[in-house]
Amino acid sequence: MLRKLLKAERMKLRRSPVWLAFILMPVIPAVLGTANYIYNQGILTKEWISLWTQHTLFTDYFFLPIMLGIYCSYLMRLEHGNNNWNKVFTMPVSRSSVFLAKLITAAIMLLLSMIWICVLFVISGYAAGLTNPPWLTIAKWCIFGTLGGMVTVAIQILISMNIKSFAQPVGIAFLGGLSGLVFLAKNLGHIWPYSLMSYGMNANAPQKIAESGGYGTFVIICAGYIALFTIIGNRIAVRRDIA
Amino acid sequence: MISLFKCEFMKTRRRYVFMTAWAILAAFLAWIYPRHQSADLLRLGWMENLYELPLVNAIFMPLLSIIVSSRLCDIEHKGYMLKQLAVTEKRGKIYDAKLIYGLAIMMSCVMISWGMTIAFGYHVGYQGGVPIKLYLFYLLFTAVPTISVYLFQYTLSLCFKNQAIPFFVGAMGTFLGTFSMFLPQFPWLRRSLIWGYYGALSFVGLFGWTKENRYQYAHFDVIGIDWLSFIILVFVCVGMYLIGREIFKRKEL
Repeated sequence: MLRKLLKAERMKLRRSPVWLAFILMPVIPAVLGTANYIYNQGILTKEWISLWTQHTLFTDYFFLPIMLGIYCSYLMRLEHGNNNWNKVFTMPVSRSSVFLAKLITAAIMLLLSMIWICVLFVISGYAAGLTNPPWLTIAKWCIFGTLGGMVTVAIQILISMNIKSFAQPVGIAFLGGLSGLVFLAKNLGHIWPYSLMSYGMNANAPQKIAESGGYGTFVIICAGYIALFTIIGNRIAVRRDIA
Repeated sequence: MISLFKCEFMKTRRRYVFMTAWAILAAFLAWIYPRHQSADLLRLGWMENLYELPLVNAIFMPLLSIIVSSRLCDIEHKGYMLKQLAVTEKRGKIYDAKLIYGLAIMMSCVMISWGMTIAFGYHVGYQGGVPIKLYLFYLLFTAVPTISVYLFQYTLSLCFKNQAIPFFVGAMGTFLGTFSMFLPQFPWLRRSLIWGYYGALSFVGLFGWTKENRYQYAHFDVIGIDWLSFIILVFVCVGMYLIGREIFKRKEL
């Protein structure tokens, strides 16, 4: 059943502009971040790690949360429009699977974006004259960034399901990204849901994850949040009265 | 026109448009204010604001514009209201009324943030008096890029039923504009993007800052106002308004 729902979600997204945005968006920090790195190599001396900070500086805190907010809003808007919830909930599928299918679709999109960000990062590194990319570290940033991002996705799907407006959930995602920055600055990045994505991808202070209990704790916290928001989302979907 | 404004007000009642805008503004204020604590920054506070705030504005104001414009235009798209409105009123007037209403929200945010910046300076006790002339320039150079960005977003939101498009375009523009401020080597980049004018019109530079002493021997100075960029931007605003209005008038509803 879930597979069919995922297929339905994929069909709904066919020829949608969101794909284009997810391809184009990471190109901006890749080009401009690399240019900034090249012109400031006197200060940015940690090669690949310095380059990563330039690529992810604003992406993590502002633009990726906003993009995820837009993406989740778009996924839910398809149902909010034309009273589609009525049709969706009268289909012979469980309501909780509908929520889960949307969550998985958004998470796949996030994963693809992360992979694309990392591919662009490696290409940019070579273009900037760097050699020997730290593959394992890049993979860690990608995997843990995706895991942290899935927490944001779970919240945003939940919010977008309950707010019909397209713009307001995106505004909340923006405020969430901002709050994430504040929590990171207060060394509470590992417990605040909107900080987890930048925390997982954080190249500025990779030791922080180790200090806060290591990757195991990070995974448990992320999994806990994802489970929590999924359960809440499912319960709301199950009890929802459609108008 | 007054009835159209009234109509806009009625449509946005209980839609939390103002509240959303002011919530983002509150986050803006909460983000920028708790940082002025050290004695050096209290000494330099008034000028430091003029140096730092254009970057914060380059992130916040365009995103606020995207959200406000989308919120106001989506109301019409959802209920197929534009068609009905166009039957009773000239399209140009509808475009103007919605634009002015949205700009009023945006300008209220610009004015509040400006006023709060000064009030906060007095509250924490920045040394010396507020350089009011420079702060008026700052207000002007925040308001005009915000108007240009809002005009762009508003036209996109009004023309596209799918609000994801203006959101993505706006977010990418904001991203480019923010990054352009970190690349002084490419001044053309700031001037070629409406989102980059927050940086192009910033007029205060930081001198004497070092990693070791930080702000101890640092000072801020006016590095000159780029009036040419300002004039270009004003013309861009007028051009975008005329083009946007014309596009809306010819649009198939």
